[in-house]
Amino acid sequence: MRLRRRIKSQRRAAAMEQSPPQDPGRQLQSAPLEPLGHPAAGLEAAVSEDAEDTRKEGPGDGTMTENNFSLKKIEISVSEAEKRTGRNAMNMQETYTAYLIETRSVENIDGQSVLTDSLWRRYSEFELLRNYLLVYYPHIVVPPLPEKRAEFVWHKLSADNMDPDFVERRRIGLENFLLRVSSHPILCRDKIFYLFLTQEGNWKETVNETGFQLKADSRLKALNATFRVKNPDKRFTDLKHYSDELQSIISHLLRVRARVADRLYGVYKVHGNYGRVFSEWSAIEKEMGDGLQSAGHHMDVYASSIDDILEDEEHYADQLKEYLFYTEALRAVCRKHELMQYDLEMAAQDLASKKQQCEELATGTVRTFSLKGMTTKLFGQETPEQREARIKVLEEQISEGEQYLKSKNLEGREFLKNAWADIERFKEQKNHDLKEALISYAVMQISMCKKGIQVWTNAKECFSKM
Amino acid sequence: MSGGPPKALQSTGPHSLRDMPHPLAGSSSEEAVGGDSTPSPDLLMTRSFGDKDLILPNGGTPADTSSPASSSSLLNRLQLDDDIDGETRDLFVTVDDPKKHVCTMETYITYRITTKSTRVEFDLPEYSVRRRYQDFDWLRNKLEESQPTHLIPPLPEKFVVKGVVDRFSEEFVETRRKALDKFLKRITDHPVLSFNEHLSVFLTAKDLNVYKKQGMALLTRVGESVKHVTGGYKLRSRPLEFAAIGEYLDTFALKLGTIDRIAQRIIKEEIEYLVELREYGPVYSTWSALEGELTEPLEGVSACIGNCSTALEELTDDMTEDFLPVLREYILYSDSMKSVLKKRDQVQAEYEAKLEAVALRKEDRPKVPADVEKCQDRMECFNADLKADMERWQNNKRQDFRQLLMGMADKNIQYYEKCLMAWESIIPLLQEKPDAKKKSQCLDEPSR
Repeated sequence: MRLRRRIKSQRRAAAMEQSPPQDPGRQLQSAPLEPLGHPAAGLEAAVSEDAEDTRKEGPGDGTMTENNFSLKKIEISVSEAEKRTGRNAMNMQETYTAYLIETRSVENIDGQSVLTDSLWRRYSEFELLRNYLLVYYPHIVVPPLPEKRAEFVWHKLSADNMDPDFVERRRIGLENFLLRVSSHPILCRDKIFYLFLTQEGNWKETVNETGFQLKADSRLKALNATFRVKNPDKRFTDLKHYSDELQSIISHLLRVRARVADRLYGVYKVHGNYGRVFSEWSAIEKEMGDGLQSAGHHMDVYASSIDDILEDEEHYADQLKEYLFYTEALRAVCRKHELMQYDLEMAAQDLASKKQQCEELATGTVRTFSLKGMTTKLFGQETPEQREARIKVLEEQISEGEQYLKSKNLEGREFLKNAWADIERFKEQKNHDLKEALISYAVMQISMCKKGIQVWTNAKECFSKM
Repeated sequence: MSGGPPKALQSTGPHSLRDMPHPLAGSSSEEAVGGDSTPSPDLLMTRSFGDKDLILPNGGTPADTSSPASSSSLLNRLQLDDDIDGETRDLFVTVDDPKKHVCTMETYITYRITTKSTRVEFDLPEYSVRRRYQDFDWLRNKLEESQPTHLIPPLPEKFVVKGVVDRFSEEFVETRRKALDKFLKRITDHPVLSFNEHLSVFLTAKDLNVYKKQGMALLTRVGESVKHVTGGYKLRSRPLEFAAIGEYLDTFALKLGTIDRIAQRIIKEEIEYLVELREYGPVYSTWSALEGELTEPLEGVSACIGNCSTALEELTDDMTEDFLPVLREYILYSDSMKSVLKKRDQVQAEYEAKLEAVALRKEDRPKVPADVEKCQDRMECFNADLKADMERWQNNKRQDFRQLLMGMADKNIQYYEKCLMAWESIIPLLQEKPDAKKKSQCLDEPSR
């Protein structure tokens, strides 16, 4: 409960601004990417909005200027989690958890919130939404989902997906995800996202109808491009290295933190034994008895205080985990750039080779090896008419190639511009969030120290009365 | 000796033991020690039995002072000597300045014992000698032999069992020194033990080995007789108060044992926690090297964790050096007390057996034979001494534990205060806005 309130107050400041949900028609119009649209067109649309909107996140009434929509704030919350049983695709019984998503619209004037939508979603649907966003917004650092399975657990924390504490932390993580998406200037306008919040039934079919799975770049293709690309933008290369290192560091940090939590738990709990033995000892003492007994009570208090302390610290770990998972999103953007750059390089290379061929045919010199050239040597020259025909074909191909290259170039530059803009936005968000996380961690430590001082001071006073 | 220039040390010289002045001799320091006031053999025994009206040794009595140790006078003395402010204290002993001695055969540590006293038994107001653990062990044995009806304080453990502790490490030596100091202070606080001759020799003799070699134990009559008490008799019924003391000591030792184990466990867990912390802090440092705007905050957190680690190490060291040894001492103390109780039982048993034997031989003289009377006296002395010592012990124990546990609480408070300070000091660092100075250093290039 406590954790949830904390996140809510953090995020309330970043409440989304969106056009009124009753107006899906307009919503559709303003969406940068229609489900069936061409990705390139979407990007172009995104460009014009980006210039104004990239800075517009967080509180305040930044204007979404399109078609003078009235400004309304929307609050999204994942308010409940419920165990369900159902039948899966293979018609087998399964147990899963469903999460209740509630959307409230806040009237600007009186601040009242009205529940506008509420529906249940399970984790796999969130995954589907995210995968869709990854395909259609390759230039955006798409917010990550909370972990599927509990990792980096210290021993008292359950690794079981059905464990109530895990479910609770996941609920918060899912809410966080939705808030991140809804406060992103571009992602918040997406129609599928909007439907995710509002259309319970049939949503999965709608997403799949977009055919986004087909549009996804093949992993193999991407891997190939990563190895073979010659001139990627240095900023992206650096960014990729940064992501790799950050992932490694945060993983390490989380692992050690879990061990630290384990040990700290042990230290506190053993002190509880003092409580019992002091009590037993006090029974045989005359003057010392009272002091010992009451000191023992404080030792019990001390021992039990660790549970709350470590529960709070899990929240810090979750904040770090989010950025651990963000590194994967960063890498995805870099991969996309590499892929586009590689395609560009291949296209340019192809064009250059064709031009070369053309030139050779025209001038009669053979510099490059070609099968035609070889056969000509072996079997005799071709006729001037044949050569003319070939030159013509080549010239057409070259012309097409130049067009293609030009558009690819433009595409590439647009991508770079938009992606880097979002990366800058992400960096600021990251610096802000991590600082906040560190501050709240320090505050937790301070609170723990103060509690410790309090307990031991009380115990000392009891001892002094012995 | 006393005629010459004042020397720090009283030398045992070539004189025989018997020539030495009895510490309780009423002679003033002007009187020569050598041959003129050779104490009578009687004075070398602490007292004659059956003599109930004894005189306080400091009460200014003529030369043939008898021993101070006996029931009623002892209790009177206890009341006087329990005066904490030390107004009536006239003997102060300190153990300090450990030094390592390297010889061909062995290496060992000696400690300096400084004695300050206004007691007439001491030739000089101040003495300073060097003693090693062996010597303390010798002293304790002698005290046990010569004062078997009293509770002798424990020595720190002779051998180091745990782990690979260096006998010559600073921490070990310091812990031992404190325990030896405590040992002597307890003895010198004791109204009877502090007048023991072995103690005086220990505190004053330049060369203790010479004295040891002379080997004549100055046993008290009690000591002698108790030593020879046969253990074959079975005790009929233990007086309630001693039964209660026995039960108390049993439970007490048990509880202390548990506390010792808990304390050790806590230290072990804290050390393991420390190991993890020492890995945890530096990760933030590594991270900070990767970042731009977050560099200082992360580095700050790393340093902070480092400070907490240091504070924790100090806590575990303190607990190991100051807390655990005192617990162990008290466990040893209660063990030795239990043996004294057993001896008391034996004394009582012998008396009862002899009494019964006499009762069976009814035709004998109606008067109780002398040796049975001796047994009775022995028993009553023992009981009185033991009772008095137990009361004294209970009081000291309460103060010792009060101090010990308050100390433990204090150390923990200090630990948390150090950590609190560390974390509070980085909050402003974390909250610092990057605008003013960071923008120029920022590695991220704005691309807008």
